[in-house]
Amino acid sequence: MKALLVGEYREGNLLDTTYELFGFADQLGAETALLLVGSDSRLPAWVGTLYLADAAQYGEYNPELHTQLVLEAVARESADCVVFLHSSYGWDLAPRVAAGLKAAQVSEIIGIREEGFEVGCCNGKMRRTVKPATPSCVLTIQAGAFPQLQPGGSPTIIRMETAGSSSLEFMGYEPAEAKELNLTRAEVIVTAGRGIGKKENVPLIAALAKALGGELGASRPVVDAGWVPHGHQVGTTGQSVSPKLYVACGVSGAIQHLAGMKKSEFILAINKDKEAPIGEVADLLVVADLLQFVPALTARLAK
Amino acid sequence: MKILVCIKQVPDLESRFKPNGSKLWYDEADLAFRMNEYDEYAVEQAVRLREQLGDAADVTVLSIGPDRVGEALKKAMAMGCDRAVHIADPDALLRDPWQIASIIASFAGGRGFDLIFTGMQSQDRGSAQVGVLVAELLGISCSTTLVGFACDGEYVIAKRELEGGIKGVVKLRLPALVTCQLGLNVPRYPTLPNIMKAKRKELLVIPVAELLATGPVAATVSFHPPMRKGSGMVLEGDVSTLVEQVIGILKEKTAVLR
Amino acid sequence: MDLDLTAEQKLIQETARDFARAELEPVAAQLDQGDDRTPFLANLKKLAELGFMGLNVKECYGGSEAGVIAFSVAMTEIARSCASTAVTLSVNNMVCEVIQAVGSEEQKRAYIPRICSGDYAAGSFALTESGAGSDPSGMTTQAVADGDGFVLNGAKLFITSAPYAGLFVVWAVTDREAPKGKGISCFLVEAGSPGLIIGREEKKMGQHASATNELLFDNCRVPATALMGRLNDGFRIAVGELAGGRIGIGSLGLGIGLAAMEYATRYATQRSQFGQKISGFQALQWIIADSFTELEAARLLLMNAAFKKEQGKPFGKEASMAKLYATEAANRACYAATQLLGGYGYTRDFPVERYTRDARICTIYEGTSEIQRLIIAREILRTFS
Repeated sequence: MKALLVGEYREGNLLDTTYELFGFADQLGAETALLLVGSDSRLPAWVGTLYLADAAQYGEYNPELHTQLVLEAVARESADCVVFLHSSYGWDLAPRVAAGLKAAQVSEIIGIREEGFEVGCCNGKMRRTVKPATPSCVLTIQAGAFPQLQPGGSPTIIRMETAGSSSLEFMGYEPAEAKELNLTRAEVIVTAGRGIGKKENVPLIAALAKALGGELGASRPVVDAGWVPHGHQVGTTGQSVSPKLYVACGVSGAIQHLAGMKKSEFILAINKDKEAPIGEVADLLVVADLLQFVPALTARLAK
Repeated sequence: MKILVCIKQVPDLESRFKPNGSKLWYDEADLAFRMNEYDEYAVEQAVRLREQLGDAADVTVLSIGPDRVGEALKKAMAMGCDRAVHIADPDALLRDPWQIASIIASFAGGRGFDLIFTGMQSQDRGSAQVGVLVAELLGISCSTTLVGFACDGEYVIAKRELEGGIKGVVKLRLPALVTCQLGLNVPRYPTLPNIMKAKRKELLVIPVAELLATGPVAATVSFHPPMRKGSGMVLEGDVSTLVEQVIGILKEKTAVLR
Repeated sequence: MDLDLTAEQKLIQETARDFARAELEPVAAQLDQGDDRTPFLANLKKLAELGFMGLNVKECYGGSEAGVIAFSVAMTEIARSCASTAVTLSVNNMVCEVIQAVGSEEQKRAYIPRICSGDYAAGSFALTESGAGSDPSGMTTQAVADGDGFVLNGAKLFITSAPYAGLFVVWAVTDREAPKGKGISCFLVEAGSPGLIIGREEKKMGQHASATNELLFDNCRVPATALMGRLNDGFRIAVGELAGGRIGIGSLGLGIGLAAMEYATRYATQRSQFGQKISGFQALQWIIADSFTELEAARLLLMNAAFKKEQGKPFGKEASMAKLYATEAANRACYAATQLLGGYGYTRDFPVERYTRDARICTIYEGTSEIQRLIIAREILRTFS
């Protein structure tokens, strides 16, 4: 089996997550080639065929031209599958490639099974195993689901070019709202999820964070509701963190959130719902009303 | 301007899910269905554009599924869509994204929609494929994961949400399709008078057989609950006992408490 | 025979539930414990804008024209989160409906849209007096014709929403010589009318955000156009409209009962004693089974009464049955829920304590359980004599 991996550049840098593609291909037992729309100055440490197109010419986000580049590399490699990260770049580009190849796409793979690919569904509460029925297929893998593999060495570069115009113009990046803090360096993070019920309960969570000498985190719904500023958001659209202790309070555990915190060394989840998906990654799940439990724990720590 | 919004009806995600008889998807009994959350943002954005453009715009909302999707369509009309298309398909939940996209493209093709809104993904399947595939099948411009939207009638300025809170700004020429991310806007509650008036809006029912000409390209071979992380402990009981147990475990297992 | 809600009714139910969860639930406990009504009044305004103040009112008067069943399911959903908000909705709808039923065209156009739009935060129903509760015909507040209007004197008691109501529907004796119940008339009195005094607010057991006040008339002068319906025909109006209000209060009770039992049942599936979940004990399973059965019966009685009213059929007996049963079942449900929570159910840290207090008034206001039984028995016996 031959896999064409499609890595990512952002603002001139190769994203580390690209190495997760190697981790996936390794588990799949596939031979690999890599396609990047990037630059010579930041190349991955890996031995193999690198199809390299110049981001200065084709942009970091120009899905129409990138699709053409991918399709051309697939043809040259006779690849059986094309693998993307399930990221804002990957989920945008993958279906276009799938349409171009008339191939099945399996999205956000979290595991490889004998019968097919394991994916999450129903907000992370259930799993599906999916089997592509076309000769070639397009795959996207969940961020963090596969280990980063850095094989070392240097690639053999094949320069890629494509002609054509685009109906879409990339205007530039907008920086994230000023972050008040860098959660990625915190040793302890105590996160407020939707289960805290209302903005007025945020101080309860913040108090526990303080008692543990950590920072306050927040899940996406809590940020969207305006209860906690965006700078505190943990998850794929917020910050990816791996503290020594992660305390999830009333966090149900949407896939996007889990992807941002499941590498934490120890995960304590406090939730009313024993079945909540957060329980899957938690080292310790306390089934309790957090409005009761959290203040009690804070008080005990203060002793 | 002709606008199309594609919506899906999904179960309330707070529900418990169990496999149905085929073991390939969930059992629908006991589930309450409602509009996919991402699609509420799509409907809201389409309706805001319609309000911006006045009667120069016309918004069609489309959904594929059994009779019950009529409720989601009526909600979209109560929110402000002008008309609805129900593609009647009792088996919609079993179709793969490729088939769903083909059905939508087959409806939209030749009808001259200038702008198509979809949710970024569905809450139940979460494949994030249908919107982009529709654009590809129709050969129109497309961008995904919008958290910002502006349209002057000729171009769309889209703000895409990227990892880490960064945004990418993209300009698309119409006709175009965009997929909407949570937080793009604040979807309105439909007002009761508008819910009642939605009854008088046009709801066209098309049997899926008229639009579906392709088989699935991927097969679900199993639907099951996740395996639990082996080492995970679960504690329940009185709060004061729990606190002592948790402190004990944190002292033992982490370097944070001493 | 179709026991399913229509798509519109389901959407109204969903909208009420979404709104209640997002806007009412987060402030309900705080409103119960505090004195600041700001979030309560803000939510009333939002609910008005969504069309919840005139569910069974014609579109031309600013209503939603959604019908009585929609009114019932909406009340239940709102009450699940905040009973104070629900009772205000029920009274506002009742005020709109009474004006729509018997008001002049001018009165309808002047007042219904202002309640429906939220321009008036509330409307009030001023019938009860200290000496005229279950027997309103014994009222003593008087209205005396004087020149081109009437002068009102007297006092009303337990008036819902009085401090923030824009309009009061007031009943007063206009013919003291007439037989009991025959000399009463109905007036529409605007807030701020000279001589209309908002009296003391009651300190209640529950439903704290909803104000309940005394209302005093001290030579309160109203124009002749304030008279609603015919002179001396007011009591019939009151009796007729109270039946519709009973569907509202029954639906409210159902909402509280469901909230209590849903909370307690979830608790029972999580709480362990004697090494197992307490929901595994048959003694508690029976409590759960009985409570939900009663609440389901209450729902069906309410749907039946609402359906009859919506069809324009007589519904007085059905409304009384539904109100009686639903509010009594709600109180039993709260009692059962407290029992399931044990000691925690008795504390303010859990919402069941609030539900229990909020539910208690439901068997009293809008006609006590005893009055409902009186009405039901009278209606039944009528067919036997």
